[in-house]
Amino acid sequence: MFSVFSCQPKTETPVYEPTLYDLPIPFGFPTQLNIPADNPLTEEGILLGRYLFYDGRLSGRQHSDSLMSCATCHIQANNFEAGIDHPVFEGGFVHGLNGQQTHHVMLPLVNLVWNHSGYGWNGFLYPENENPAMRNIEDFVRLAVLAEDEINGDTSQVKTVFQGLKGYPELFYKAFGSEVVTFKNIERAIAQFVRTLVSADAPFDRFLRGEQQLTSSELNGYVLFTTEEGADCFHCHGGGGNPLFTTHLFYNNGKDTVFTDAMDRFVVSGNAMDKGAYKAPSLRNVSLNGPFMHDGRFATLDEVIDFYSHYVVQSNEINPLMHHVLRGGVQLTPSQKTDLKAFIQTLHDAGFLTNPAFARPEKLPDEE
Amino acid sequence: MRSYIVIITFVLLSLVGCNTKTEKETPAQGQLSIAIDHTVFGNILVTDQFVYKNEAGNNYMISEIQWFISDIQLHKSDGTTFLIEPEDGIYYIDTDIPFSLKINPATKIPEGNYTGLSFTFGINEAKNKSLRFVNPPESFMFWPDYLGGGYHYMKLNGKWINPSEVAEPFNFHIGIGQIYDSTALKASYVDMEACCPSSHCEGYKPPRKTMPVIGFIQNYFDVKFDQDITIYKEKTSEVTLVMKIEKWFNGAHIYDHNKWGGSIMQQQPAMQQACNNGRNVFELKQQGQ
Repeated sequence: MFSVFSCQPKTETPVYEPTLYDLPIPFGFPTQLNIPADNPLTEEGILLGRYLFYDGRLSGRQHSDSLMSCATCHIQANNFEAGIDHPVFEGGFVHGLNGQQTHHVMLPLVNLVWNHSGYGWNGFLYPENENPAMRNIEDFVRLAVLAEDEINGDTSQVKTVFQGLKGYPELFYKAFGSEVVTFKNIERAIAQFVRTLVSADAPFDRFLRGEQQLTSSELNGYVLFTTEEGADCFHCHGGGGNPLFTTHLFYNNGKDTVFTDAMDRFVVSGNAMDKGAYKAPSLRNVSLNGPFMHDGRFATLDEVIDFYSHYVVQSNEINPLMHHVLRGGVQLTPSQKTDLKAFIQTLHDAGFLTNPAFARPEKLPDEE
Repeated sequence: MRSYIVIITFVLLSLVGCNTKTEKETPAQGQLSIAIDHTVFGNILVTDQFVYKNEAGNNYMISEIQWFISDIQLHKSDGTTFLIEPEDGIYYIDTDIPFSLKINPATKIPEGNYTGLSFTFGINEAKNKSLRFVNPPESFMFWPDYLGGGYHYMKLNGKWINPSEVAEPFNFHIGIGQIYDSTALKASYVDMEACCPSSHCEGYKPPRKTMPVIGFIQNYFDVKFDQDITIYKEKTSEVTLVMKIEKWFNGAHIYDHNKWGGSIMQQQPAMQQACNNGRNVFELKQQGQ
């Protein structure tokens, strides 16, 4: 009888009790989050997602030459982009394991839990999509693993690899209640981690909270940013009333007169006025986001400001919000450009870029 | 014993009497549903096509309209009013969001005959405060603090054919207006230079907006219809509110895009003209009318 009792603990199934994670809502931020009902944030899911995000074996391969993870391109110090000075991805133009360059340049992984309007430059993944496999960040994980110009992997191979890695099955159990590694749960875990990547403590956030004053140059820049007769950025890129610094919507911003890209907003919406339209990206930590625009045509923030000042071009499809187009742009002076840039740099959130909770874990599960 | 029976009977009767009285005091209630239509010259709005012309002679098209309606009230002949205010009483309307085109307030309205309906176009001063809305799409309507704060009352975006026969974008945006200090020294302007030596802006004059703002003007306005509306017990009465878009430009003021240009958030005289015209922009229709 005694021996029976003493054996029980060894055969007992560990308790599956994931701890729900309540994402804090920063001051002024939306309270409505894009978290699918079937993938709530849990501490265990986020932890597993963080391991997977940084584990090069997400490629489904274990040879050191064939490793690729989300973090290969999405680098925390560069606002989860590759960075224009990346030693491998020259100029910040990323390519996949087989060397093929991605169709568009990267978008940063920042504050995506507040994006309800579609992911990607043209928003091809959106919650209302009739195709349930093309709706959210979870689907982006799968597409990135499969894409020839990204990880170029095989989902079966990926789950087989992680099934065999010490420590991972236990983490999957804690997160999802089963030690059997499924690709669905890989998607879910990484998506959970990505949804926690919140940037909300830049100098401008502290200014909004009344904790910090901006310099006169930054304040001038803020006025320019939020006035139609100034730099006129706010309708698409937010401001004090929309601290996401994006609407997550899609605009033809007057870069071109002819539109031939097979992956613009038009291919998603079918609306001819959406030709040449792309997502207005968030400006948080934007100085790290180069190269800029969907095709990376501008290397620096200065070039972007020059474009909006003097080189906007007219087309039938240009968004009505670009009402300065017939003058070529908003016509900022050199001093105004300096002020505008100074303000935009108040969106630089150093804490986000170094937050240990978002960094590569010290050791991967099988290295513990 | 007899006295006990009398007392108990009295108490029971009075309780029953109270219950009956309570039921009678509960007023019969119904609800009101308001459909929103956007029309031009009587026809439902067609977006992104140059099929319209205003009295100033501008050929124009409309891409989208986003606006706030608030403080919807029903009026009775005795002068009393009933405010339909389930939460904050502010509703966001968007031509691109179909579900926003029908307002279904949860408010229960006492049944009876009402003789009028009124609302505020935009948001009144007490309610129009920055960060009131943190969630989109309402939050995307924010009106910059430097220009008065709060929210756009309306964004009406489109293009018109200018004298050079070019399709020029316009943002017919209405919200809090500003009073600029035209006597201020240039040194106190937000930025002294409003133009650059580039050939792109040859002939471009520094606009007023660079002057310091010394005051704000609330441009929201009320609209009232003296029309009979009946609210029936446990039923939803339906009306349609029509925004007759052409009337923003044709009315007491003939609004000329060539005069006001592509943006008016910092041009109070233009917003004033728009709001004067706006009082005749709306029409209320009973269901089936």
